[in-house]
Amino acid sequence: MGTGGTETVSRRGFLGKAAVAAVAGGILAQGMYYLRALVPNVLYERPLRSKVGPPDQFADGTTFVEEQQVFVVKEGRSFYAMSAVCTHLGCTVKAVTLNQPKFIDEAGKRVEIRSEFHCPCHGSRFYGDGRNYAGPAPRPLDRFKITRSPDDGQLIVDQGERVGADYRLTV
Amino acid sequence: MARSIAERFKAMWRQSTWTWQPRSEREAGDAVVRNLLLHWFPSKVHRMSIAWSTSMYLGVISAYLFLILILTGLGLMFLYVPSVERAYASVKDIEFAVSFGTVLRGQHRMAAHLMVAVVFVHMARVFFTGAYRSATAANGNRELNWIVGVFMLLTTLFLSFTGYLLPWDQLAYWAITVGTNIARAAPLLGEQMRYLLLGGNTIDQNALLRFYVLHCIFLPAALLLMFSYHMWRIRKDGGMAVVDRLAVLEQAAPVKTKSYTLMGIAKGTTVQVETSVVDEEKDCLSSSPHLLRRLVAVFAATLAVVTALAIFVPAPLETPADPGLTPNPAKAPWYFLWLQELVADTTFKVGGFTVDGALVGGIVLPGLLVALLLVWPYLDRSPKEAVGCWFHSTRSVQNIVFAVSVILLLVFLIIGTFMRGPYWNFYWPWESWPGIPAKI
Repeated sequence: MGTGGTETVSRRGFLGKAAVAAVAGGILAQGMYYLRALVPNVLYERPLRSKVGPPDQFADGTTFVEEQQVFVVKEGRSFYAMSAVCTHLGCTVKAVTLNQPKFIDEAGKRVEIRSEFHCPCHGSRFYGDGRNYAGPAPRPLDRFKITRSPDDGQLIVDQGERVGADYRLTV
Repeated sequence: MARSIAERFKAMWRQSTWTWQPRSEREAGDAVVRNLLLHWFPSKVHRMSIAWSTSMYLGVISAYLFLILILTGLGLMFLYVPSVERAYASVKDIEFAVSFGTVLRGQHRMAAHLMVAVVFVHMARVFFTGAYRSATAANGNRELNWIVGVFMLLTTLFLSFTGYLLPWDQLAYWAITVGTNIARAAPLLGEQMRYLLLGGNTIDQNALLRFYVLHCIFLPAALLLMFSYHMWRIRKDGGMAVVDRLAVLEQAAPVKTKSYTLMGIAKGTTVQVETSVVDEEKDCLSSSPHLLRRLVAVFAATLAVVTALAIFVPAPLETPADPGLTPNPAKAPWYFLWLQELVADTTFKVGGFTVDGALVGGIVLPGLLVALLLVWPYLDRSPKEAVGCWFHSTRSVQNIVFAVSVILLLVFLIIGTFMRGPYWNFYWPWESWPGIPAKI
């Protein structure tokens, strides 16, 4: 076909190829519809943003909110929310209170560790503030935005919005 | 009168079963042509083809296990409800309320476990006998059949995976969690793949229905298609590789058989399927009844083992799926524990950059293993005498590589099974695990 410039395409040849292309294109396009129909447009899932309770309900330290799979950590008057989902393959980590506090060196400072998170699936380990230090987890536990509801003052955790490790809500 | 009816029934019985017990060579050949279930046999098979020591009938056993799985699975489909509210209760009913439900589920489960094992051992047999390469048969393409076989192994594994998550218990829930997160770790399309598999972002009704349809329709149909091709290919390749080898050793030209091939006409070579069988009269037996008899015996033995195991090994049902509480330790079934051990051990740091074990152990390493299996027949440069021979001396390095890989896999599997306790900590099998509070 037309490489030398002088060859011509016969009408029969052209129509034949066009017909094959039309059929193939039609089947391919229908295959794509078929696949596309399996990708949902509407989801009926639990909302990512939800109330977890009034601030005074939380004790100092780490509280596990089972329904949302998040930890709410209270330090005096400030709060932060941390995911309980392991950053490796998504199992729910468990809070472990150490029998004896352990000390780690961090930038020349001695830091006391009293609680940790351990993952039951593949053995990832995190310090109490969510930093990974052993096992296969590639990054620290996610932190989520935590706010107060304007109507009843409850804490709201938004799992759709990740925040940095220094984010705090002070009440 | 009574006698004539009895005789008539006897005659009918003989008429419908003559293909199983032909009385002459001619009837034996006819049987294969006329009987639907026998039509995929050659009319004659070489003694070495049907020898127990050649194939150990591992492929046959795999096919029978698949048949048992289809039949018991159809029964279970009448009893199981693929909904997140009712799945667990329906499996519990199968186990405790349905008459013989526990045997039915047990047979399905044991056949599935055995199928994973037997399909793998079948692959090892083909490797160690060098039967994945063509020797002398005209138009032979055993390499392609090996590739189809590798995909059949993968489909078997995926069938098991989609099966054990249907009860919607803790094992199921955390298996989907980990499995789909491994898919997510894939580069570029990972996130989309997980979304498509789950039918959303969370593990819920959409996910259960998808895995149910994959398990009951899509994957079995795919396996059945590949199985048909696998069988057809063996016939086109001239039967078992051990017979190919004979012709190499005896330096004889392939002989024409009584089977005809359209491919031969198209290529203008011959209309007859050529095999390397040297002397049909001397070395071959009629498929019916000699092969048939063995196939029936193997089926009976397979079914007996499955049923006995189903009766004596109870199928577990864990507590209902609970997203807030991961069992400690949370372990996959044995055939995936090497993978679980791999993803737990393969996260590493390069400079300040962390490479996730989910990618390395879950996708890259298994992907490499599969890729290696797929190309291996083309890398094998051993002489044709090695085709169809157990542990041929020219293939000893390859066999050692294969055996070491299998042993490594087994080591990972054994560590995962017997030496991992709560929080995936290492414990020797004789060490007891510390008591762990069940709730956080």
